[in-house]
Amino acid sequence: MISVVDLHKAWGPRAAVSGVSFEVRKGEVVGFLGPNGAGKTTTMRILTGFIPATSGEVKVAGFDVFDDPYAVRARVGYLPETPPLYPELTVGDYLLFCAELRGVERSRRASRTGEVMERVGLRGWEKRLLGSLSKGYRQRVGLAQAIVHDPPVLILDEPTSGLDPAQVVGIRDLIKELAGSHTVILSTHILSEVEAVCPRAVVINRGRLVAEGDIATIRGMARGGAYTYVEVQGIDGPRLGRLPGVALVEPVGQAGGWAAFRVRAPADPREMLADRAARGEFRIRALESRLPSLEEAFIDIVGREGLA
Amino acid sequence: MSGVLTIWKKEMRVYAVNPTAYAFLAVFMFLAGLFFYLGLTLTGEASMRVLASNLAIAELFVLPMLTMRHFAEERRQGTLEMLLTSPVSPMALVLGKWLASLTLCLLMFLGTLILPLILAYYGDPDWGVVFTTYLGLLGVAAAFCAAGLFSSSLVDDQLAAGLIGIVMLMPFWLVGRAEALVGDEWAAKIQAFGVLSHLESFNRGVIDSADVYYFLAFAGCFLFLTYRSLESRRWR
Repeated sequence: MISVVDLHKAWGPRAAVSGVSFEVRKGEVVGFLGPNGAGKTTTMRILTGFIPATSGEVKVAGFDVFDDPYAVRARVGYLPETPPLYPELTVGDYLLFCAELRGVERSRRASRTGEVMERVGLRGWEKRLLGSLSKGYRQRVGLAQAIVHDPPVLILDEPTSGLDPAQVVGIRDLIKELAGSHTVILSTHILSEVEAVCPRAVVINRGRLVAEGDIATIRGMARGGAYTYVEVQGIDGPRLGRLPGVALVEPVGQAGGWAAFRVRAPADPREMLADRAARGEFRIRALESRLPSLEEAFIDIVGREGLA
Repeated sequence: MSGVLTIWKKEMRVYAVNPTAYAFLAVFMFLAGLFFYLGLTLTGEASMRVLASNLAIAELFVLPMLTMRHFAEERRQGTLEMLLTSPVSPMALVLGKWLASLTLCLLMFLGTLILPLILAYYGDPDWGVVFTTYLGLLGVAAAFCAAGLFSSSLVDDQLAAGLIGIVMLMPFWLVGRAEALVGDEWAAKIQAFGVLSHLESFNRGVIDSADVYYFLAFAGCFLFLTYRSLESRRWR
């Protein structure tokens, strides 16, 4: 549904995006991650046709963004970083205008507007002036304008910024609901958000693609990748490290006579550890294969790049 | 081109609830009344002649202030991004905004219709001349609104946009005094660029196609420049 091939964007001599390629399949929700200034907003603006790329090929819903901009625009719902609102209009008037702007037929405009207000939790707010809304409600209106024409592709730039926790959950549920029938790409730097709504993510840093794949794959990309977490008694770190097949042991902490370690090994060491514990070499109460958290992975991926 | 109508409707709605629009409307009406009174007492004739050329100058100051909001504010609010990523073309956007500001000018003129009615009460004005006078003022409005939109597309700050618009239009007024600087032969050529010289025949009750073309070309040029300016912002 969205395909980006070797995308470059330079502002004069400064490269904002250099050589990014990724693909989003129909019905997928993909998280677009990266630290501030990584080129997320630039990439999204290129996807919506707001700014042209310096080079590369971008296709949205089967249409080339450069050759067929109007076909793309009719099929994309876009929530920019700051919701684009007219403070002097009411919520209802504004959404009707957006529906008309996006070519929703006259007979369906009122019902569509009502539907999306219901969906984003704005029922009963039609008469409120946009200028008087709080940040969370502005964000909801922004989301409502992005989906008012029921576009197959949604591009959301930090959709939950400025919302309170309950609203965040509400918007995430809404995005999950939209998945399947809609293709969604959402940028954020809130990692728990990605884990909550996106099965897959694309990570960029300094304008380059640094990781892409499902969340588990990306978590596995943290330094050392997957590890085995153990809590043991009767064995210390160095001895644990000398066991066959174990490459590295990192102490995590101690509590009540039990020591916790991260055991890294090329092959899964869990069977070996369980067998030895069963033979009475040491006592064990936790033995678990774990992935690093997305935070750890993110910092590792982005940090490594940052140093280069 | 249905986009033009969409934009026009939205602009009219924003004008309707925006206090600045009313303020400038009031300023314009006040100036119209003042010029009318002065014209009447100074010349003692039941005509709109003095009023018309002075109102053109009032337009020079009021219209850029009326149009300054259009692109500057849209950009500041982030709504320009929404408009330019919608299926409505930038040209339709420019035309919709231009037609909306022209509609407001028509409302402004409607308010000043009381003046010829006063003339009719005391004297016997030539209604044909009154009509062409308004037509001339509308031509000026078409040209100045286009120029105001262009200045609004240049900067993010409304007030700066308004002032740039006024400064940009100033030469089209001042060249009318060109004879003070250069010989008569050159003055006539330079004055042809001025707005006032193209109003003269309208004020006499004559619709000269050359003058109509002048205002249309003036507006067309600035509308095109506005369009280019919007496009260029996306390339930077």
